[in-house]
Amino acid sequence: MVGMMQTISREKFANLIDSAKFSTDVPSKLETLRKLKEKFSGAEDPHLVMEFLPQLLDLHTDRCSPVRRYVAEIAGDVGLNYTDLLPEVVPLLITFLRDGTPAVARQAITCGISLFQRALTKMAIQGLYSSELDDSLESSWAWVLKLKDEIYSMAYKPESDGRKLVALKFIEAVTLLYTADPSASSEPPEDQTSGEMPDEFNIAWLRGGHPILNVSDLSIEASRNLGLLLDQLRYPAVKSLSNMVVIVLIKSLSAIAKKRPSFYGRILPVLLGLDPSSTAVKAGHVSGVHHALKSAFLSCLKCTHPGAVPWRDRLVGSLREMKAGGLAEEALQQLSVANSVIAQDIKPSTEISAVRKRPEVQDVNDVNKDDDARGKRARSTPNLTEEPTQDSKGDNGNTKKNVDNGPVQQLVTMFRSLVAQGEQSAAMLEILISSLSADLLAQVVMANMPNLPSIRPTQEGKEDILNSESHLSTYLAEIISRSNNSQITQSATDMHTDEPQKPEVEVEHPLAKVADMAHSVTEQEDVVPTASPFSVDIPSIKTVTSVIPLEDTDIGELEDGIPGLDSSTRDDDMPEIQVDTSLVSADMEEDTQEQITNIARSSMDIDIVPSMSTDKSEELSPKAAMADANNINSSTATSVQLTSKVVLPKMSAPVISLTDEQKDLVQKSAFIRIIEAYKLIAVAGGSQLRFSLLSFLGVEFPLELDAWRLLQTHILSDYTSHEGHELTLRVLYRLFGEAEAENDFFSSTTATSVYEMFLLKVAETLRDSFPSSDKSLSRLLSEVPYLPKSVLKLLECLCVPGNSEQNEEIHSGDRVHQGLSIVWSLILLRPPTRDVCLKIALQSAVHHLEEVRTKAIRLVANKLYPILSISLQIEDFAKEMLLSAMNDDAELTKDTEMEKPLTESQPSSVNAMITKDSSSEVGQPCTSESIQTTSITDAQRCMSLYFALCTKKHSLFRQLLIVYKNMSKAAKQAICVQIPKLVRTIGTSPQLLEIISDPPAGSEILLMQVVQTLTDGAIPSPDLIATIKKLYDTKLKDAEILIPILPFLPKHELLQIFPCFVNLPPDKFQAALTRTLQESSQGGQGPVLTPTEVLIGIHGIDPEKDGIPLKKVTDACNTCFQQRQIFTQQVLAKVLNQLVEQTPLPMLFMRTVIQTIGAFPSLVDFIMEILSRLVTKQIWKNPKLWVGFLKCAQLTKPQSFGVLLQLPPAQLEIALNKQPVLKAPLVAYASQPDLRSSLPRSVLVVLGIAQDSQSVSHAQSTQSHSQAQSQSQSQTQSQPQTQSQSQSQSQSQSQSQTQSQSQAQTVDTDTGNSDKVVADEPKESTNS
Amino acid sequence: MRLRYAMVCSSNQNRSMEAHFILKREGFDVSSYGTGTHVKLPGPSLREPNVYEFGTPYKQMYEELRRKDPELYKRNGILPMLKRNLGVKTAPQRWQENIADGQFDVVFTFEEKVFDMVAEDLHTRDHILLKPVLVINLEVKDNHEEASIGARQTLTLCQELEATDRWEDVIDDVISTFEQRHRRKVVYTISFY
Repeated sequence: MVGMMQTISREKFANLIDSAKFSTDVPSKLETLRKLKEKFSGAEDPHLVMEFLPQLLDLHTDRCSPVRRYVAEIAGDVGLNYTDLLPEVVPLLITFLRDGTPAVARQAITCGISLFQRALTKMAIQGLYSSELDDSLESSWAWVLKLKDEIYSMAYKPESDGRKLVALKFIEAVTLLYTADPSASSEPPEDQTSGEMPDEFNIAWLRGGHPILNVSDLSIEASRNLGLLLDQLRYPAVKSLSNMVVIVLIKSLSAIAKKRPSFYGRILPVLLGLDPSSTAVKAGHVSGVHHALKSAFLSCLKCTHPGAVPWRDRLVGSLREMKAGGLAEEALQQLSVANSVIAQDIKPSTEISAVRKRPEVQDVNDVNKDDDARGKRARSTPNLTEEPTQDSKGDNGNTKKNVDNGPVQQLVTMFRSLVAQGEQSAAMLEILISSLSADLLAQVVMANMPNLPSIRPTQEGKEDILNSESHLSTYLAEIISRSNNSQITQSATDMHTDEPQKPEVEVEHPLAKVADMAHSVTEQEDVVPTASPFSVDIPSIKTVTSVIPLEDTDIGELEDGIPGLDSSTRDDDMPEIQVDTSLVSADMEEDTQEQITNIARSSMDIDIVPSMSTDKSEELSPKAAMADANNINSSTATSVQLTSKVVLPKMSAPVISLTDEQKDLVQKSAFIRIIEAYKLIAVAGGSQLRFSLLSFLGVEFPLELDAWRLLQTHILSDYTSHEGHELTLRVLYRLFGEAEAENDFFSSTTATSVYEMFLLKVAETLRDSFPSSDKSLSRLLSEVPYLPKSVLKLLECLCVPGNSEQNEEIHSGDRVHQGLSIVWSLILLRPPTRDVCLKIALQSAVHHLEEVRTKAIRLVANKLYPILSISLQIEDFAKEMLLSAMNDDAELTKDTEMEKPLTESQPSSVNAMITKDSSSEVGQPCTSESIQTTSITDAQRCMSLYFALCTKKHSLFRQLLIVYKNMSKAAKQAICVQIPKLVRTIGTSPQLLEIISDPPAGSEILLMQVVQTLTDGAIPSPDLIATIKKLYDTKLKDAEILIPILPFLPKHELLQIFPCFVNLPPDKFQAALTRTLQESSQGGQGPVLTPTEVLIGIHGIDPEKDGIPLKKVTDACNTCFQQRQIFTQQVLAKVLNQLVEQTPLPMLFMRTVIQTIGAFPSLVDFIMEILSRLVTKQIWKNPKLWVGFLKCAQLTKPQSFGVLLQLPPAQLEIALNKQPVLKAPLVAYASQPDLRSSLPRSVLVVLGIAQDSQSVSHAQSTQSHSQAQSQSQSQTQSQPQTQSQSQSQSQSQSQSQTQSQSQAQTVDTDTGNSDKVVADEPKESTNS
Repeated sequence: MRLRYAMVCSSNQNRSMEAHFILKREGFDVSSYGTGTHVKLPGPSLREPNVYEFGTPYKQMYEELRRKDPELYKRNGILPMLKRNLGVKTAPQRWQENIADGQFDVVFTFEEKVFDMVAEDLHTRDHILLKPVLVINLEVKDNHEEASIGARQTLTLCQELEATDRWEDVIDDVISTFEQRHRRKVVYTISFY
C-alpha cells in the first residue's frame, strides 16, 4: 500500500515538475508551482522531497521572474522543513541573491531569515544536550553562514533597491538572534534534542557552553552588526541613502533597542543625533524620516526596561522638538502607571541592584552595568546562571576599553581639569562634549565608572541598603561641593561622622592625584576581569576606596560634572541633581557656612514632607532606592531626626491617578481660578497670557465641564471691566482656528457650534443689557473672525423688528438705530458680509413701521448708496420694490373692486388683517376705502426708498415717470403725497430738467405736479421756464403744463399763448386765470396781466383763426364775470372802453356789454355811452353785434331810448321791427314835447308820430317839436286797436324774456352753473 | 504587478470609503478600514453623536438614521454617504482587527493620527514574512467635498504605483512628483509584515 502511495505521489511530483518546466505561459506555471509547493510541504516522505528537489531547483533558470521567485519560496519552505537539505537549498538561494529581479532576491533573503533562525536553533539545541554534532547539521550551518555573509554584503552596497531593505531586516534578525533576550527565559527548553523546534530562541541558553557556537563571538558579531547599522545612519554615510532605507534603518534600530534595551546606549545617541533635514537625499522627503524617528522615539520611550529609563528625558525633549510633546507625555503617563505596578513587583530586586550599583551606573548599557556590578558584587554570592553572560560581555566591554584606553583616559583627564575650573569652563566643556561622538563620550563615562566608590568600608557589616545609602551620602556631598564652595564640601564631609578620613583634604588640589588614582583604579578594573572573572580583587579596591574616599568623591563629582554641564550626555539623574544643587546653594547663601548643610537639609525636609506623604517611594523604581539612600545618608551625615525626610523634590514627583470625576473637578476648579484671578492678573499685567490660557483650556477641556459657560458668565457679568471684548475675541479666534484646522468631523463641528453659541450669547447680552448707544456690540461684530448665520439673524431682528416681537418694539426705535449703525459698519469693515448686511438694511428700508423705515432709508440713501460697489444693488432693490408696489396695488385694487372674499387671500398679511377688521366693523361699503388707505401706506412703504434714492441720483426720477402710467390709484395717490417733497429736495437740477424736457408718455399728470411743485412758492429758474416752454412747443401740446409758469412769462408771450388756456376745461382755465392774475412774487411788480388785459385778450380771440370753439371763449368770459372782485365794474368799464375803440369790434363785445349790465346795473349810464358810440360806429353794419345791440337796448330801456333815437330812421325802424316791444314805450318817450321837438321828422315818422316825411326840413323848425309831439300822440291814439294785439304779443314776449333772464341771473349768482343759459341767450338773439 | 491596497480613515465611513468606492470602480484590489474605537457619525447635536460598533452593517445604520430624522441626515449628507457605502461593502471594518485579511502592499491613510496608528500597529505586529508594506498618508479634511478630491488623488497615485515595476525603488520619485503636481504634502513610511 505504502509503496503504491509512494509511486502515485512520485508520479504526481514528476508530472507537476514536468508541467512546471514545460508549460509556456506564466500563470499556468505559477499554478503548477503552487500545487507543487503544497506537495512539498505536505510530503510525508523526505526521500521524495530529496529526489525531486534538484529537479525543482533546475527551474531557477526560468526566464520568468515570478517563477524564480516562487522557486525560491518553495526552496525556502523545503529548507525549513528539512534542515538536512540546506546544503542544496542554500546555494540556490545564494544564486538567487544575485538575480536580476529584486523580487526574487527579496524572496531569497526572506527565506534566508527563517532558514538562518531554524538552523541556528537546531544547532544550539543539539549542542546544548550533546557534545557531538551531526555532520550534516554542521555543513548546513556552514552554508547558512555563507548565505548570511552574502546577505551582509548586500546590505551595505551603496545602491539601494528593494533587496537592501530586506537585507537590512536580515541583519536586524541576526543581531537579535545573537543577543540575549532579557525578557525571555534564559533557561534552555527541557530536553528538546529530538523534539520539534521551539518557536522562540534565546542565545542565553548557550551560556552554559556550546561546542560550536561561542556566545561571546556571536555577541561580538552582533555588536559589530549593530555598529555597521549605526554607521549607516551616521554622517556622511546617511547622505547617500534613500529615504526608504533610512526609514527601514530607523525602524530596525528602534526595534533592536526595544528588544535589547542594553543597546539603548549605542542606538539612541545615533537616532537622537539624526537630523532628518540633513539626511534627506531629496528635500521634501523629510516627513517620512521624521515620522519614523518620531515613532521610534515613542516606542523607545514606552519601554519599561530599567535600561531605558535614563533616556526618557532626552527622548521627551526630542519628541517635543518634533512637536509630539503631547504624545510623549501620554506615553510617560502610561509608563508611570505601569511603572508603579512593576516597581512594586520588582521592588526587592531593584533594591538589591541599588545596593550593587550607584544610580549613575544605570546610565550605561548593560555591558557596563554587568561589568561594574561584577566588580562591586564580588562579596555577594555570585549568581551562577548569569555568570557566563557577564563574563562574555565583560570581555567584550573590556576589549573595547582596552582598545580605547589611551585616548579615553586622556579625555577623562581633560574633563577633570575643565570641571575643576568651575563654571567658567562650562562653555568649553560643552564644546568638548559636542565635538565628541556619542560613542566616545559613552566610553569616557564608562572609563570613569569603575572608579566610583561602591561601598563604604566602614559600613561593610551593615545591611545592604545602608551600604549604598551611606555611599550616597558622599554622593550628596559631591553635589553640594559642586556649588563652587569647597568649604561647604569640607563641612559636609566633616559631617560624615563615621568617616575615618582626614577631613582637611581639599577638593581643588588633589585633582592630579585623583586622576592618577582613577587611572590606577581603572587599570585595576581592567585587569581584574580578564585575569580571573571569578576572583575579583576586592581588597585592592577596598583599600583604594578606604584610603582615599575623598578622592573617590571627587571622581564621582567629576563624573557628575561632565554630564551635568551638558545635557547631551546621558545621565538621567542630572536634571534632578542640578535642581538640588541650586536649591542647596540658594539656601546656603542665606546662612552661615558652618551650618549650611544642616539647614539646607532641614529646609528641604519641610519642602518635601507633603510629597512624601502623598507618594509611595516605591513607585519610583530605581530612583526610589536613591531617594531612600539619601534619607539615610542625611541621617548619617547629620542627625537621626532628619532621617526620613531628605528627598530630592523632583525625584519624588507624585503620580496620582485620578478618577474622571476628580480630573474634571480639578480641571474645572483650575479654570475657575484662572477666570477669577482677573484682578490680580490685570495688576500684574499678564492678561494676554490669561486670555490665551483660558481660550486654550476651553478648547481642550471636555464639553461636559462647560468651561465656555463659565467663561461666558464671567465675561458677561461685567463686560467692560473684565475686558470682555478682548477675551471674547481671543476665545472666538481660538475656536475659529480649531474649527478650521481640525480635520475630523467632530471637533471641527463642535468648535463651530461652540463658536456660534458663544458669540450669539455675548451678542445677545450686549444687546439686552447695554444702552443702544453703546458701541460694544458693533465693535465685537466687526472684529470677530466671522459672523455665523445666527448672529446675522440677531442683527436682522434688531433692524427689522418683526411682528412677532411686539414687546421688543417698545424700544425698537433706538435699537433699530443701533442695528443699522452696526450694519453700516459691517458693510464698511467686512466686505464678505456686505451682501447679507445690505439685505438687512434694505429690508429695514421697506419696513412697515415708518419710524424704522425712515431710519433705514436715511442710512441706505445717505451712507450706503454712495458706496460704489453696492449702489447698483441698492438701486435694483429699490426699483424692484417700486415695481412691486405697482403690481401689488394693481392686484389690490382689482381685488377690492371685485368681490370682498378675495381680499382674504391677499398676500400681504398686514393688509388682509386690516381689511378684515375694518370690514367687520364698518361693513362692506367701507372696505374699499380702508383698503385704499392701507394700500396707499403700503405703496408708500415700497416706494419711499426709491424716492430717497431719487434725491441722490436725479436720473432715477425718470423711472418713476415711466412707471407712473401703470400704477394703481393708490400708488398714484401715494406718489402724489410724496412727490412735492421729493421734487422740492431735488430742485431744478439739470437731470430733472432733462427728464422734464423729454417725459415718458403717460406721465403728464405727474409731470404737471412736478412742474407745479417746482414753481410753487419759488421763482422758477429761466432754465426751467425755457424747458417747460420747449416741452410745450415740441412734445406736450397741453397748455396746462404752462399754467405754473404763467406768472413768470413775459407779457407778450403770455398774450400770445393765452387763447390756449381758454381752450382748457373750465377748471383748468380758472387755474390759469388765477395764476395769471396772481401777484407775482417778483417784488411787488404786480401780475403779469391785469384783469383788463385778460378780458381784452379773451375778446381778442378769433375762434376761427385760433381754432378755439366760440363756446370756450364765452365760457372764459363767463368765468371772468364770475370773479367780480377781480373783474370789478371799473375793470369792465375800462375793458369796454377799450374794446369799443377796436375795429372791427370783438365778436363777443355786445355779449360782454349785456353781461356787464347784468352784473353791474349801475353801469347803465356808461353802457349808454358805449351804445351811443356804437351807433356812431354804425353798429347795424355788423349783423351779429346789431342783434346784441338791440337786445342790449331792449334790456336797458328806458335808458336806452335816447340811444335808440340816435339811430338813423331806417335802422330805428328795423330795430323797432325787431323789438316791437320797444316801440310803444319809445313812442311814448319820443312823444314827450321837449324831446319830440328835437327829434327829426323822419324819426318821428318811423315812430308814427309824424305823418309824412316830406317836411323833414320842417321838422327841424320851431314848430316841428309840438307837431311831432301831437303826431306821436295822435299816432298812439289812432292806432291803439291795430297795435294793441301786436303790442300785447310783444309784451308777453318781452315779459317771458325778462322772466327767463331774471331767472337766469338768479341761478347765475347762486351757482355759476348757468353758463349754458347765459351763453345760449346771445345765440338766440343772434339767431332771431 | 498587481498590488493590494487598503484605505484607512478613522471611522471607515467618509474618506476611506470614498477612496474605496473609486478604486473599486477602477478595478483595483482594495479594502478599507477605520482605526477608531467606534464608528461615529454626527448626530442631532454635538453631544449626541451616533455611535456604532465596527461591523454594524451600513444598511442598518442607514435604516436607523432614516427612521430617526430623515431630513437632518439627508441634509448633512450622512444618508447619501451611507447609501454609497452599503453599495461598496457590508459594514465598516477596523484596521486593528484585519490580520485575517492578509497582507497589503500599499496602505493609504487620510489623517496623520490614523497614519500613526497604522504605522504603530504594523510595527507591533510580528514581522514574520518581511513583506514590505508602503504606508502613505494623504491629509484629507473630513468632509464630503474634500473626501472626493482626496479619493481622486489617491486614485492617481495608485495608478502611478501600479505602473511601476517595483515601488520600493521608485517611491521617492513617485511621491515627489505627486507632491509637486498636486501641491500637497504626502508622508509615507515603510513597514513589514
